[in-house]
Amino acid sequence: MMKVWWLARKDLLLVARDKKAFLTLILMPLLLIAILGSAFGNMMKEEDEITIKKFTLGVVNLDQGQLSEVLTEEVFSKNLSKQIQVKYYQEDDLYKKIKDHKLTVGIIIEKDFTQSLMTGKGTKVKLLSVPDTFINTTIVQNVIEQFSRSIPIEAVASQMAQPVQGGNQNSSVQEGYGKKPLLNETTIDSKTKPVSSFQYYAAAMGVMFLLMTVVQGVSTMILEKEQDVYQRLLLTNLTYPNYLLGKMIGLIIICLTQAFIIIVGTRLIFGVDWGPSISGIAVMTLAFVVNASGLGVLAGSFIKTEKAFNVAGMFGTQIMAALGGSMAPLYIFPDWIIFVTKFLPNGLALQTYLDLMSGAAFSKILPAIAGSIGLGLFFFTIGLIRLSIERRGRYA
Amino acid sequence: MNMLTVQDLRKSFGDFEAVKGVAFTVDKGESYGLLGPNGAGKSTTINMITGLFPPTSGEIRIKDIDVIKNPKQAQKWIGVVPQEIALYQTMSARENLKFWGRMYDLSGDELEKSVDQVLEIIGLTERAKDKVETFSGGMKRRVNIGAAILHRPELLIMDEPTVGIDPQSRNHILETVKRLNSEGMTIIYTSHYMEEVEYLCERIGIVDHGQLIASGTLRELRETIGDQSRIILTIDKENANVEQITRMLTGRFSEGNIQIQDHQVMIFHKEPQLILSDFIQSVTKTGTKITAVDIVEPNLESVFLHLTGRNLRD
Repeated sequence: MMKVWWLARKDLLLVARDKKAFLTLILMPLLLIAILGSAFGNMMKEEDEITIKKFTLGVVNLDQGQLSEVLTEEVFSKNLSKQIQVKYYQEDDLYKKIKDHKLTVGIIIEKDFTQSLMTGKGTKVKLLSVPDTFINTTIVQNVIEQFSRSIPIEAVASQMAQPVQGGNQNSSVQEGYGKKPLLNETTIDSKTKPVSSFQYYAAAMGVMFLLMTVVQGVSTMILEKEQDVYQRLLLTNLTYPNYLLGKMIGLIIICLTQAFIIIVGTRLIFGVDWGPSISGIAVMTLAFVVNASGLGVLAGSFIKTEKAFNVAGMFGTQIMAALGGSMAPLYIFPDWIIFVTKFLPNGLALQTYLDLMSGAAFSKILPAIAGSIGLGLFFFTIGLIRLSIERRGRYA
Repeated sequence: MNMLTVQDLRKSFGDFEAVKGVAFTVDKGESYGLLGPNGAGKSTTINMITGLFPPTSGEIRIKDIDVIKNPKQAQKWIGVVPQEIALYQTMSARENLKFWGRMYDLSGDELEKSVDQVLEIIGLTERAKDKVETFSGGMKRRVNIGAAILHRPELLIMDEPTVGIDPQSRNHILETVKRLNSEGMTIIYTSHYMEEVEYLCERIGIVDHGQLIASGTLRELRETIGDQSRIILTIDKENANVEQITRMLTGRFSEGNIQIQDHQVMIFHKEPQLILSDFIQSVTKTGTKITAVDIVEPNLESVFLHLTGRNLRD
């Protein structure tokens, strides 16, 4: 069994001495993260001017009164028409749209909204948002708070002008104002927090370059098979399953080292917060590498030559990176693409990294880890069966 | 005792039959040469003997182990020097040897001792820490051999181990092989260089078109051509009339002993000095211009030429 380790160690040594590999594995990802994070990261410097694009606000209006209509029609639709487009939904639909990232911000106005504001009891408007759009969320939140604060004052003024209807209502309005929360902000996961562009691209580029490393690793395996060292290895006491195991272990260690350097590097150089769950990041990285390696071995079992695999690997990596959200944020894609990405090693890994960055606990990502390892083992098994059949036809 | 027994070995790739019923034995401690031109089937035969390729049919035994049924068991006894350099270029000679030693289950002091011994045998102790990629072709070939003898195999199989190297490195390799053989290691040596096989091997098998066309000691093989020397006349091809030369020579000498190839006219004879003058005159009479005359003592090249009508390097 020690031979497996020595084989893996030899691969690590070869990679460590390859300057080109060092550039590709470590420097390129850090450089791209810096470029993309800066290019898209309008939140990195608070003093910078920020251009806010028009966005859609999903509204569920359960209130029968006039104030909710004033808020949605007068305030959001007319006064803020340059910034916000209002669309009305049923409650379930709004949740689904936000969850699927088809909407970034939504509000649910509860049924006693008008009455509560008028009586000064305070009310709750539920604010829903996706994790990485905190500017839009802040705008909506501020507007609602300003609106809610102005209503009791206007109500007091109105009541003072109509003393007949006075009574002790006046004092209750003033008591209610400022004591009760006017707004309940919730993201879809109540514990999540926004993910910055730097965080997004640190994860996205990390995943893409890990995928490239896996492709490179499998490509090296195919190249070695074309060379005499592979035949020489087969003539030693090393068995074929041990050979594959050694290569896989070597590849996994290389990927984990690369992931470690990218994570620590982005943390130290760019201050990227990878979330509170270090174990979650580590285990997900391992699961992703198993998944990607399995897919690589499966692809490699169908492609005979290293040159052909390199070409296919390059195209495959780029397509998977694009679909998996490494080039543009996932939530701009249609539903079916987001669904498909969950079956791609990198798509699943990126979504899980983002969850972890948003504060998700280790337990929450367990299904993704299990899915990733399961898919990887499935791919690996199919690839192994195919390679064994091919090998039996060629070698003794 | 037979170290290796090969019986009716065949290998087909689709419709192409690369090895056609090869059979031979190699005794323990013997050095056996497989001689033949490129593409003759030597490497395919070697790959089957080492257990790398499954034969289409036939039997291979190393000691008493059936290689086809138990390749891993048989491979413990053998060391293989492949035709190409099968080393990691960015690793040093010592690192390479240690890696390959570990693949043969060597470890600890045993591994270190073996690596040191092998470095000494291949004459690279001083360059042990240098990366293989910085070595000359000959030095790489020496490390290539070193990686095959770390575990002290009883049978060392070498597939054209001196291709493309300088004479000095070739001599070093030949001396190394000779020394290993003298220490009791059984050697199978394939080459298309007859001088190497003549120098190293006690018995020789000549392979052509996938068949073992002759086998025996150098003396036995020479006797297949009657221990005859070869007179070679190099002619000016432009004014040579091959038909006329053939007619002239067949009238005066035994037809089976005459060969005309490209710009050479050859004749085999036990006592070449007796017919040299007559041979030259006969060719000159046809109006052909002779540019050189050589007399070659009987060797494996002559045997191969006699058996196949072709040169080994054709």
